[in-house]
Amino acid sequence: MRLIDKLLTDSPGKNVLLLGNEAIARGAVESGVAVVSAYPGTPSSEIGDALYRCALKMGFYMEYSTNEKVATEVAGAAALAGVRAFTCSKHVGLNVSIDTLMCLAYTGVDAGLVVVSADDVGPWSSQNEQDNRYYSLLAGIPMLEPSNPQEAKDIVAESFKISEQLNEPVLLRTTTRVNHSRGNVELGSLTKPKVYGKFKRQSNRFILVPSVAKNRHVILLKRMEQAKKLSEETHLNFIDGEGCENQKFGIITSGVSYNYAKEVINELNLNMEILKLGMTHPLPEEKIRKFLISHSKIIVVEELEPYLEKSIKAIASEKNIEVEVLGKKKGFFLRYGELDPRGVLSGIALATGKKAPLNFEKIDQKFELVKPILPKRPPVLCPGCPHRATFYAIRVATDGKAIYPNDIGCYGLVREPPLEADTVFCMGSGVGLACGLSVVVDQPIVATIGDSTFFHAGIPALINAIYNQHKFVYTILDNETTAMTGHQPHPGTGVTNRGVSKKVKPEDVAIGCGVEFVRVVDPFNVKEAIKTFKEALNHDGPAVVVARRKCVLLVLREKRKAGQVISYEVRPDKCTGCGVCVSMLGCPAISKFREKVVIDPVLCVGTTCGVCAQICPYEAIEVAST
Amino acid sequence: MIKQYNIAMIGVGGTGILTAATILAETAIKQGENVRVGEIHGLAQRGGVVNCDVRIGDKVFGPIIMDGKADVLLSFELVETLRALKKVSPEGVIILNKYAMVPPGVSAKGGVYPNYQKVFSIAKDFTKSIFIIDALKLARKAGNPITMNIVMLGALVGINGFPLKRDLMKETIAELFRKFVDTNLKAFEFGYQELADKINEKQNKAFIT
Repeated sequence: MRLIDKLLTDSPGKNVLLLGNEAIARGAVESGVAVVSAYPGTPSSEIGDALYRCALKMGFYMEYSTNEKVATEVAGAAALAGVRAFTCSKHVGLNVSIDTLMCLAYTGVDAGLVVVSADDVGPWSSQNEQDNRYYSLLAGIPMLEPSNPQEAKDIVAESFKISEQLNEPVLLRTTTRVNHSRGNVELGSLTKPKVYGKFKRQSNRFILVPSVAKNRHVILLKRMEQAKKLSEETHLNFIDGEGCENQKFGIITSGVSYNYAKEVINELNLNMEILKLGMTHPLPEEKIRKFLISHSKIIVVEELEPYLEKSIKAIASEKNIEVEVLGKKKGFFLRYGELDPRGVLSGIALATGKKAPLNFEKIDQKFELVKPILPKRPPVLCPGCPHRATFYAIRVATDGKAIYPNDIGCYGLVREPPLEADTVFCMGSGVGLACGLSVVVDQPIVATIGDSTFFHAGIPALINAIYNQHKFVYTILDNETTAMTGHQPHPGTGVTNRGVSKKVKPEDVAIGCGVEFVRVVDPFNVKEAIKTFKEALNHDGPAVVVARRKCVLLVLREKRKAGQVISYEVRPDKCTGCGVCVSMLGCPAISKFREKVVIDPVLCVGTTCGVCAQICPYEAIEVAST
Repeated sequence: MIKQYNIAMIGVGGTGILTAATILAETAIKQGENVRVGEIHGLAQRGGVVNCDVRIGDKVFGPIIMDGKADVLLSFELVETLRALKKVSPEGVIILNKYAMVPPGVSAKGGVYPNYQKVFSIAKDFTKSIFIIDALKLARKAGNPITMNIVMLGALVGINGFPLKRDLMKETIAELFRKFVDTNLKAFEFGYQELADKINEKQNKAFIT
């Protein structure tokens, strides 16, 4: 069954394989969502991808917005006007949208609004691993957390229900291992979306001037009192293994950690009650109190911050309950990185005095032999990636002596030799840092930012550079897609799921804002690209270079459909083994073997790229003769 | 019903590991089993390490295999085998693909890349049951080097006690690759046959000695 069919089939009770994110998308479809907005980001991207594909067929609206803040405004507005809305982003996306979400908590909503925060614990594909559960406290909105694909689907309907009961947005918080685990999901029935709303002017609600805000804050707090009742009653907060004999120990957990706790007590042959929390803000204090008084020791299993642990301790102290809480504070679990079954097993074994059935130390000992010979394999730019050619041109033009602020995207992978960058912070920050650096250092600066990132957060810094006349090269790495997260469209592509739309070109933005030096260059034309960067470096003031070449993965997709891609090969008679191609490009397809360079025919994308053939001083790289 | 069967997969992004995992999971569902796949996206096509755990059975809840609990380690790249060794159970099986992908960092600095004798000598401390196959050669023989992942799946199905049915696996493959069904099914059979031959070889050796 194809994904689109799994998402749109109206066959309640059918059991299908879905990724956590696809399950969330299916949950939104089953809930009759009417407006969806998103900016992609790992580990949330597949939610938006799935809904993007479903929208027209199901009759709801879905857009990729320029950033998470705009996305939250789009969805928020729909919910204010009385239609069900949904927005999703990765954890750091919420940093961008939190301003708006704080306001929506004050205004409240007239139809369900579900905000998904996919937290990249690890982190696997992010600049940090912040615990977004605290955002629900900060904004004062309810929060739900699923543990597996089935729950991920079901919890969306529950989120809409709670959002409408309270007239408040609901934060649906997931972590990487929920988003990116696949499993059985039993489908429910579909709901036809109600897509038209009505906006009613309510100045004492929507115009958040201080006098209004004061009142709205009081209303929000009252609603959170109501939310507490829901948290006590909901089936999402339940005791697993209720009534089992062991009343000494109890576990409190939520999200993905619940799975590990369950497997571990099996593995250790323990019999223990688990209080599983699906609604984690506000917490069901009475339910927790009862659980605490019936156990003498509580093991808290959660990822990242001791969010549950601290609340549980507060409840125990407030209600004068004598109970020992074993969690992060006493070192049973780590406060950073992902939990995994082994880590949870070690923690629970230590807390209960049980011996682990597996000899982990012995495994670790044997692994000591592996460590010294295991090479690092960081993710790199793909063979044939146009960004590689741009970075090469920049390095040659600057003789490697400039400062290179970089940004978020595939090109953020450039950090190992031979292509190195100097900074990667968060969306759009490289160009902002370039502004500041240009004030204080006497060194050329070449900043790089992707096309989607440019539209997301790069424009304010561009205008700042013009206004304050910061001298640096502002490079837009335009591969005509949002490649890192799975090739989502963006304003520069001019494509939406409703068909072809208006194209916004980064060079037009730069010219329109008043940049005097604006050039568009093809990075695969190596000589021209180097020349352009040299000119840009000589310009007195901000200089914009748009390096435009379509993402190689998209090009290959087309080419492979048409036939096989013919790779390049090295002519051993001409190759002197000088290694310029190896040491200057860092292409995964090129390596050195016994003083000669070899090209891996499986990895090389051939004439789709051809940069190595252009830079070889001995013309030793040619199209393979097949 | 299966209680618990854990397949740890490792390799380099872009070589079809996630597709192979999906085929296993879809087959498990067809067979009426509970399944979990733990995968990491985002960097999957960028030449980074890709870990993927497929877990089948009633007693399975989470997406990650505990160290020492993998029934099979299916390794798509020679040296990456090493990175996942902690997962394999002492009674488990390792199927490893000879195919080596030297990371650009190693080539650029002129570093050393472990060869297959080295990998084998370390791996055999973790389990005695190791099969080395040349999946790239078999994929080429099937008609397309890109089917290397399907060769690996064929080999996986060939091991003793593997709980998913071979015919159902083929059915899933046929559904997934609408265009290149024949090439993929060939690749699958080559992998299966290769492992069967290796098992025979081992048994014969045992008989002789």
